[in-house]
Amino acid sequence: MEYKVEAHRIMSISLGKIYNSRVQRGGIKLHKNLLVSLVLRSARQVYLSDYYAGVCLNAQHIEAKEWELMDADREKLIPESEAAQPSSADCGVSEAAQPGQTRTTGGAQLCLKRHVGAEDGRASRLQEKDSDSLDPSDVAVTSPVSPAISETQCGSSDCETDADAAVTEGDSRQPPKDHACSHRKRSAEETGVSETPVKRTKVTPNAIVANNEIEEGEEMDTSNVSNLITIFGSGFSGLLSKDSAKSESETDDSDSGSGQICCEQMLKNLNPWTTAIVAF
Amino acid sequence: MAGVGGGNDFQWCFSQVKGAIDEDVAEADIISTVEFNYSGELLATGDKGGRVVIFQREQESKNRPLSRGEYNVYSTFQSHEPEFDYLKSLEIEEKINKIRWLPQQNAAHFLLSTNDKTIKLWKISERDKRAEGYNLKDEDGRLRDPFRITTLRASYVLKNLLIWFFPLQVPVLMPMDLMVEASPRRIFANAHTYHINSISVNSDHETYLSADDLRINLWHLEITDRSFNIVDIKPANMEELTEVITAAECHPHQCNVFVYSSSKGTIRLCDMRAAALCDRHSKFFEEPEDPSSRSFFSEIISSISDVKFSHSGRYMMTRDYLSVKVWDLNMENRPVETYQVHEYLRSKLCSLYENDCIFDKFECCWNGSDSAIMTGSYNNFFRMFDRNTRRDITLEASRENSKPRAMLKPRKVCTGGKRKKDEISVDSLDFNKKILHTAWHPKENVIAVAATNNLYIFQDKIN
Repeated sequence: MEYKVEAHRIMSISLGKIYNSRVQRGGIKLHKNLLVSLVLRSARQVYLSDYYAGVCLNAQHIEAKEWELMDADREKLIPESEAAQPSSADCGVSEAAQPGQTRTTGGAQLCLKRHVGAEDGRASRLQEKDSDSLDPSDVAVTSPVSPAISETQCGSSDCETDADAAVTEGDSRQPPKDHACSHRKRSAEETGVSETPVKRTKVTPNAIVANNEIEEGEEMDTSNVSNLITIFGSGFSGLLSKDSAKSESETDDSDSGSGQICCEQMLKNLNPWTTAIVAF
Repeated sequence: MAGVGGGNDFQWCFSQVKGAIDEDVAEADIISTVEFNYSGELLATGDKGGRVVIFQREQESKNRPLSRGEYNVYSTFQSHEPEFDYLKSLEIEEKINKIRWLPQQNAAHFLLSTNDKTIKLWKISERDKRAEGYNLKDEDGRLRDPFRITTLRASYVLKNLLIWFFPLQVPVLMPMDLMVEASPRRIFANAHTYHINSISVNSDHETYLSADDLRINLWHLEITDRSFNIVDIKPANMEELTEVITAAECHPHQCNVFVYSSSKGTIRLCDMRAAALCDRHSKFFEEPEDPSSRSFFSEIISSISDVKFSHSGRYMMTRDYLSVKVWDLNMENRPVETYQVHEYLRSKLCSLYENDCIFDKFECCWNGSDSAIMTGSYNNFFRMFDRNTRRDITLEASRENSKPRAMLKPRKVCTGGKRKKDEISVDSLDFNKKILHTAWHPKENVIAVAATNNLYIFQDKIN
């Protein structure tokens, strides 16, 4: 758990550095900001995976208690979860699944909002086991990307798929759904933990989803951090220049506003005053 | 242990120190680059205030055979001024990032100096004669009297007699006190969007390259309005940016070969004959990362801050945060030698990240025979490694050891356990006193070490 504290501290320091680089003389230094963003990304991965490990442990703890009580319910839920996961459906509540929905922008922004919430020091909120379903989605995005971080196996595989589901419906953030998602997560975990044959059949869809998640994870990672800049809003407007590191390098695809500014400034720089660069 | 270098035991002695003694260091006085010229006669320094100071070595005098020639100020000039980019509302620092001398071809000396955006070619020339006798009116309003002869030299008298008949004078060259003039001959501007980190003169003595974070341009020394872009690693989508160029250098003998290092700890060697745009490398040097030493800061400390070819052109040396590596150009998968500069800092990386020290860009240099290498560290320490004997030494540049010809005592950092006498513990190191820039005389054992705003010159004592 001490990794989490350390990671959080490093994240705060990194963000401070990126922010201060705006006011540094000589403009934003691309190299330094790139390195800082790499540290920020590593720290965030550790932080969220650490958090997630904690949540899973909490959930498992509760499940262990509820095991005997919910035997019958579990039998019912297993087929449901099995059916739901391959199709990446949502949390199984009345809301319709939207498999075609892109999971980058909305989910990413919301993931980040949670992240920023943590930054504000409300870490205790993330500790709650019935916290927003979007937090596990954060973790799910990053956990496959960081192989160095060891986690409880059940937690990662099952929570991934469930987070997968959670992400697709990231746009809507209704509390009832969250609770349902938490339940969903727990039940999925439960089936993962149990030694029933059901688990084996689930592994393949999990793997497929994991692969997809890895690709998406990389993308979401950058978009998450870029959204950090949009979160800070005008305070980061200085970063949206051609010389800047982070705004350019991690401007979200959907974040077309800042992308436009970058393009415009690039075009301004390609004005007649610049030296003609001759290339064969 | 007495010293390091070559076959003999060298003993490094203090020679000179340049710069103010004040504790309060003005930011503008911080030295940002140090470079000997090809003969070693001239030593140039650049500072954060955009000034260049050139020292010249005095000729050895017969009166003091023991001490080699001292370096005295030869020329000082303002190379770059702070500028403002109005389009981006950014100030362009005047700090001199690099100075590179051109090989001397006539009586004048030429050097290239660069800040973040603009490279300038400076001509440093001596003047010891002055033209006098212009046809000007003096204070009284009268034309100068040709008969006011100030010297009895026969030729001068004769010339003035002629002037009696021909009233217009031809100006005459008269000796004067030596004056060293620096004039900007070329200004290479507007070719770099990102911050220039390196310049390197090609062995053809006609071209040079300049590198910024994402691009490398090739220039001709005579042409300022055009440059060739030879490397461009800017991704189409800046989101995908993962590495930047950190240093670049031309091969000392092969004018078609150059190398550039990256923030990921890799070095690419490129051949300009292969293609106009050298995005595809000819050789790729990378050492596999040790997975057991991974941390949050692994990427930062693997970023290469300097790359230097050996004088022979067979090897190159790279400096990352904790070590110096020597690479054989014929072997790409790992360096042939690795020297730990200050491994004791590995456990302190987090605090070094907080105080920004982890981003310090240390340089490294070879001695003239490529048998030894030198690089800087913290607490005004600098390290030398003998490649043949594998011995290393840590020395300190401080005012306390500033007595003339005082021998430098080897220093040692205590990494843990009991601290012996004369050792310094890691926690007592002063991280504000860093030696980033060092230079080794191309032929002799004379070194210049920049410690913040002071320039120390050390020499090997002749036994």
